[in-house]
Amino acid sequence: MDAALSWVGTAGMAGDAWLRHTTPDKYTRQTLDLSGQTLLQIGRDLRKSPRPAIDNAMIDTALARSRSHIARMSRLVVEKNAPDFRTQLDSLRQDQKLVKQLADSIEASSK
Amino acid sequence: MLQITLGIVTSVGGFLEIGSVTTAAQAGARFGYQLLWAIALGTICLIFLVEMSGRLAAVSKHTVVDAMRERFGFPFFFIVCVGIVVVAFMVLVAELGGIGFGLQILTGIGFPWWAVPISFVVWLLMWKGTFGLIENGASLLGLVTLSFLFAAFRLHPSWSSAGAALIPSMPQSGKAQYGFIAVSIIGASISPYLMYFYSSGAIEDKWDRTYIPINRFIAGFGMTFGGVLSIAVLIASALALQPNGILVDTFPQAALLMTTALPKWGFYLFAVSMIFACFGAALEISLAIAYFFAQGFGWNWSEDLEPSKNARYAFVYTIIIMLAAIPLVLGVDPIKVTVISMALTSATLPLAIVPFLFLMNDPIYLGKYRNGWISNTVVAIIILMSFVLAVISIPLQIIGG
Amino acid sequence: MGLVRDVLDKKLMDREDCCMGRVSGLVMHVSEHAQPRVTHILIGGPTPWMRIHPSLGRVSRWLAGMWGPKNGEAVRIPWSRVETIGRDIKLDVEAKETGALDWEIWIARHVIERIPGSGSEEEE
Repeated sequence: MDAALSWVGTAGMAGDAWLRHTTPDKYTRQTLDLSGQTLLQIGRDLRKSPRPAIDNAMIDTALARSRSHIARMSRLVVEKNAPDFRTQLDSLRQDQKLVKQLADSIEASSK
Repeated sequence: MLQITLGIVTSVGGFLEIGSVTTAAQAGARFGYQLLWAIALGTICLIFLVEMSGRLAAVSKHTVVDAMRERFGFPFFFIVCVGIVVVAFMVLVAELGGIGFGLQILTGIGFPWWAVPISFVVWLLMWKGTFGLIENGASLLGLVTLSFLFAAFRLHPSWSSAGAALIPSMPQSGKAQYGFIAVSIIGASISPYLMYFYSSGAIEDKWDRTYIPINRFIAGFGMTFGGVLSIAVLIASALALQPNGILVDTFPQAALLMTTALPKWGFYLFAVSMIFACFGAALEISLAIAYFFAQGFGWNWSEDLEPSKNARYAFVYTIIIMLAAIPLVLGVDPIKVTVISMALTSATLPLAIVPFLFLMNDPIYLGKYRNGWISNTVVAIIILMSFVLAVISIPLQIIGG
Repeated sequence: MGLVRDVLDKKLMDREDCCMGRVSGLVMHVSEHAQPRVTHILIGGPTPWMRIHPSLGRVSRWLAGMWGPKNGEAVRIPWSRVETIGRDIKLDVEAKETGALDWEIWIARHVIERIPGSGSEEEE
């Protein structure tokens, strides 16, 4: 889950940077795409090692929602649509909080 | 004052390159300031080793490799050659990849496409350039890496917390990872090719005994320059990436390092800094490998000679640069190569450092300029550390890497 | 003077201060009625590899016969040609005439000088 949190955080920070015109479009889109692909792989790996104390459906949902927002953000970079991008980014930040809660729960239950 | 450029280029090329930036960024992102001590320790060790390399060259007019071959014979030289050159080659692949990554994030064009043009430019500079041009050019370009320091200051770090982190402490969790990154940082800092490059550079620059005080200053200043910049990367990562939970497993993640501190230029400065730092490193490693063969086998060698006048030396760097491009063209991830090469550097450190202790105490080479008890104590500690690192680096990579 | 310490693996320089390689081995004449004496310096060839293991010497000889100047043997310099032994060993020979630079010359002619900018154009 730390890896998932890392990539949701990466997408969020890359999104912030793009909105501030700090990073070029190509880099932002490639980083968002890489974040999405990596989250998909992380989801698959997590399903192979289920944690009884945590609802795996919650993890799947959180990661799927994150991926969905990231995919939309990537398309909006191409369209240079900053307002909708900001909306998706705000939703991604909510996802990030949920992923963080899940990561903390997993860490607490493993101790 | 231009002599200081040897120290800066050794530092920028040897210290601040893809390995040290990656490991410092990972350290900051995962453990905050906690691994500052590892960078400080690596820097101090390197200052001593580099100063000794320069002193050996200035007094004996022998490079480290010259002296090692003469003192220990061909069989020992060959064993060291295999160990050091294999690892140095991997680091060269990583550095060329670092330049490629820098260009990738600027242009969107994947690093495999950049492998051949980058290798060609590195080779061309060695083919047509002199040692002075490479030394001064790489130093000047490397000054752009001061942007890391600027970014760290802009993030308003807690200097008291940073200072406290100079004392080693264990984290609450992730101990294997912590150990692995610590070993990688020290492996990234104490790279043997730095000693070979520096002593060869001292001969290229025609140092003699009058350069001994300058050598101390250059080694101290140059390596501290690199160490401070590595610390700046760690701090920037701790303050910019750690709050976002970013773990820096890939280069595109590291590229976000300065975007908070320097909104307008941070991204571009990071890319350009990586390109120039890795470029300097690629030149330095290529030279170090070619010097190693030429000096070990007694060939003519000098960057100031035309290639036809030192054909075997030119042949070696031509071949290794060509070979180093191949894994990148095939898409091998330079970050993975970096991680493995850092662990292997740590594992092969004893091969480089143990003979060095003997050389620095040999009156035939150094006369009254032999090591004093302080230098010998430091080298003995480095040797002890290098044996520990050699034993634990591979297991830690498997568990914590 | 110690042969191992002061001679073996030392760098060799010719009359014009050109690097000739390193002392890979020494040939000594041993007889019952006289003190052992060094007769020749050996440079390159299979000699250094044989110091690691004899089979490596054979491999080196075989490989050297396949490529390059196709000379797999060590260069022998008479001990009488040694002028001084100091930081390096100075010989009263011209490197090119001894065969010590055969590989250097071969690589220069067949590889390096074919690449533009090698510096060989100035001599033409």
